[in-house]
Amino acid sequence: MSVKVEASHDGIPHNKVMAMGLILALVSLYIAVAGAYAGYDYLAFFGGIAAVGALIWGNSTIKKLCSYGIGTGVPSAGMLAFGSGVLAMLFAAKLAVINVFLVPIAGLIIALIVGLVLGWISNSVLNMKIPVMTRSIAELAAVGCVALMGLTVVATGHVAFSEITAFNLDIFGITVSFYDVSYIGAGLIAVSFMLGAIALQHPFNACLGPGEKQDRTNMLAIECGFLSMIVMAVISFAFVSLVAAWISLVIALIGWFVSYKKYFALSKRDAAAWLDAKPFSDAEE
Amino acid sequence: MSAIAAKPAGNAGAFQPVASVIAIILAIVFIGVAYLLGNMGIFSGGAMVPMMTLVGIIVGAALIAFGVHFVPVGGAPAAMGQSPGIATGVAMLATGAGLAGLFGGAWAASLGFGVALAGGAIGGGLMMAVTCLMVNISYVYGMGIPAASGKVAKDPITGDSQAEYKSQGTEGHGLPFISYVGGVIGGLFGGLGGTLIYVQLLNFYNASFAAVGIVGEDAPVLAVGLAGIFAIGMFLVIAVLSAYNITGTIEGPHDPKFKRFPRAIVAAICASGICGLVAMLVVAVL
Repeated sequence: MSVKVEASHDGIPHNKVMAMGLILALVSLYIAVAGAYAGYDYLAFFGGIAAVGALIWGNSTIKKLCSYGIGTGVPSAGMLAFGSGVLAMLFAAKLAVINVFLVPIAGLIIALIVGLVLGWISNSVLNMKIPVMTRSIAELAAVGCVALMGLTVVATGHVAFSEITAFNLDIFGITVSFYDVSYIGAGLIAVSFMLGAIALQHPFNACLGPGEKQDRTNMLAIECGFLSMIVMAVISFAFVSLVAAWISLVIALIGWFVSYKKYFALSKRDAAAWLDAKPFSDAEE
Repeated sequence: MSAIAAKPAGNAGAFQPVASVIAIILAIVFIGVAYLLGNMGIFSGGAMVPMMTLVGIIVGAALIAFGVHFVPVGGAPAAMGQSPGIATGVAMLATGAGLAGLFGGAWAASLGFGVALAGGAIGGGLMMAVTCLMVNISYVYGMGIPAASGKVAKDPITGDSQAEYKSQGTEGHGLPFISYVGGVIGGLFGGLGGTLIYVQLLNFYNASFAAVGIVGEDAPVLAVGLAGIFAIGMFLVIAVLSAYNITGTIEGPHDPKFKRFPRAIVAAICASGICGLVAMLVVAVL
């Protein structure tokens, strides 16, 4: 006897979710970067929107990858994504020396290259033989990079390497750089790393199994994204102007509250459907 | 197909000669790129320093991949007392051991290379020893089950027979002595590898920051932050790849799955090659 498990049918195909998440993330990142370029940090909250977009995309990718049963659990995929994403993100941030508008797209490309190598290693060298493995890990690395970039923008208002590694203070017209109280020097990047990685791996891990519904999982991804953004908005009080930090915090709180209410409603909807279902449908055979 | 019905697709133990050779060649190419970039002046410190830094990172990653295979992992069945090992995933446990070691090594980094590596190894080993001890206490006194291996008839170290203690229908349970020892050895290797990566990156960043004009009393703090986050990122990548190699649970060095470790080492060499190169490019002179 085998337990019958219903496959989760997606309303929206993966490629469409990916395109929507990617466009939302990149457009939001560019708005935030443009704000930083113009000298305003009020647009820093768009980084959080970018992180949410990336998480929706990554969530769909994890769902696709983990439906093959990789034997290590879903959380490992989130850790791999951010482990490779942080490398690409910081290297891309370095390219702001050339042009700050290069950073988001360069991060995406570098992450895809690193992810392709890692995906090829897991599929060919480690012999996982999962058809979507190479592509999925490349996607996950890109998601990790973009989500981390978004959270970084929320916290610091910038993506440039020189800005996130130094806390610049004008004293009598002379700019003094403090490296030990910067986003990286103080180790705050580790906070965003873990917040992002958990937000990426949690939604599908929490919703998987029979009765998993795409809209509910996605709503949990959005909720986790805004929850991470709340913490980054609190951190941003140290780096950006007071008004910008409050804007980020209020938007994060509203976003979290709305998505949490919706997720709760969806959970209730699916819970009622689950009670009527018979999980061991072939028991009488 | 849903995740809970699917089975791991990994083919047990099969070594992939063609893919492995390509992976090794790729790693050599990455080392060559580091040498060339050093030669061209994009990396500071000449040609040899970047190359040796990357080689050190790759050696550290290979140590981590080897160490992960010693760590006894039981997953959800272990939580129910149906398989031996610690009730969590490979990646989580290896990361815990490795990061505990990394922090020990990072604390000792100013005391010299050898002391830092020893501190990292002992930190990782200590973390695993404490974890294994507490796991056995909760198994024996909390769940009321004796430790028994399902993979071997006799414990390879103590020679105690296992079959009498093994419950019917299980893969064994608890944490047998050999698994305990394996866990500590795994922690030692993981901490050593993680610290090696960290120290290599730290020295490279310290030298590079001076070259690009980031100086001052707090510039070393920035190097610590960067090297720390990159070491953590790389550690997670290597630990997850090794976990993919193990696919699920492993009891320790006596488990047949342990023989798969060459594959993971090849994977770690190639993966750390590209990750290390990207991490070094962060301080390249543009």
